[in-house]
Amino acid sequence: MTDTPLTPKDADDALAAEYVLGVQDLTERSATEARIKSDPGFSALVVAWEHRLAGLNDDFAEVPAPDLLPRIEARLFPEAPRPPRTGAGFGLVRWLSGAAAGVLVLIVAVATVLPPQQALVAVLATADNRLAYEVRSQGDTLRVTRVSGLPAGEGRVHELWVIAPGAAPVSLGLLEGETLVVNYPTPLPGWSMAVSIEPEGGSPTGAPTGPVILVAQVLGQA
Amino acid sequence: MSDDPIAALILRCAAQDRVAFRTLYRDSSAKLMGVLLRILKERAAAEDVLQEVYTRVWLRAGRYDPTKGRGMTWLIAIARNLAIDRLRSRMETLDDDGLDAVPDHAPRAETRLVAMGEARRIVDCFATLEPDRAEAVRGAYLEGLSYLDLAARHAVPLNTMRTWLRRSLLKLKECLDP
Repeated sequence: MTDTPLTPKDADDALAAEYVLGVQDLTERSATEARIKSDPGFSALVVAWEHRLAGLNDDFAEVPAPDLLPRIEARLFPEAPRPPRTGAGFGLVRWLSGAAAGVLVLIVAVATVLPPQQALVAVLATADNRLAYEVRSQGDTLRVTRVSGLPAGEGRVHELWVIAPGAAPVSLGLLEGETLVVNYPTPLPGWSMAVSIEPEGGSPTGAPTGPVILVAQVLGQA
Repeated sequence: MSDDPIAALILRCAAQDRVAFRTLYRDSSAKLMGVLLRILKERAAAEDVLQEVYTRVWLRAGRYDPTKGRGMTWLIAIARNLAIDRLRSRMETLDDDGLDAVPDHAPRAETRLVAMGEARRIVDCFATLEPDRAEAVRGAYLEGLSYLDLAARHAVPLNTMRTWLRRSLLKLKECLDP
């Protein structure tokens, strides 16, 4: 086996194969992902390798998966019917009315003082609410607030996306601080919003490149 | 398509059919769980990524093109990509002890989801490679090993491993392509 360099065509093909195999480190992998998104010819090479190596898929044994559908559906379709409220909710109301009527009044007061145009557009949250963002609209701006959890770790950032039905995600900006205000009209019910983890400075390609960690549908008008 | 029920379900997901999404989960989650467990080794991580996989499947179902390949191949590509992203961003490489703890080969599934011909041909083509190189390619695809892991496992410099693997892949292509 000689060490003569590969022709550019072979080098591209080898790169596509390396990506499909998954042997690259994170930096190389991100660079290859960016190329896949911007270069349809190269993207076709990747797809060809996915099919070429698919014969190996036979080696993956089946392992029964737990039923994660409820959690997946809660992320994708937040308006899906929920189980009817149990006594706990009623108990909470009773507790509030008994022990903390003052608090309840305060909540009502705040709610009426809030300008009505600050409508809740979407809540992007993990199932356990460890990370949650609220999106509210006010005229032609959206205000996104992190209501629980932490920003992405060092060298990474949460990026916010809006997705019209059948359209590609559009970036609304990076969620670095606690609040992001962006000039964007209120998305319509049926649209989705999502948060992905991206390298520092945001997605290099203009499309989500990292894992999508939060997805929510835009809420209907109350 | 009649011989690819998974492809039919993905197309129905693209048309926002939530019942089809549930059926797709029922019919494909065991295979994808097998993929994720093999690569990630940890059940909690595999379950976490499995949710991510089906979220992405629903959101990207419109991009699936049944003329370009089988539905299960598309699903497994998504699962492998997300699992490898997760592995690489852990920023850690398994040491030799970690590799030893990994079960050598999971038992083959009773139900073969891949057409037998496809699997047969890839076995024949792997046989044309030198055994250690064939093992490196299989290790990367099935276990998610990086160049760094492979170089350590085969005790060769990283660049040698890179050259080996690239040449082997191009040789495989020559054998596999009609």
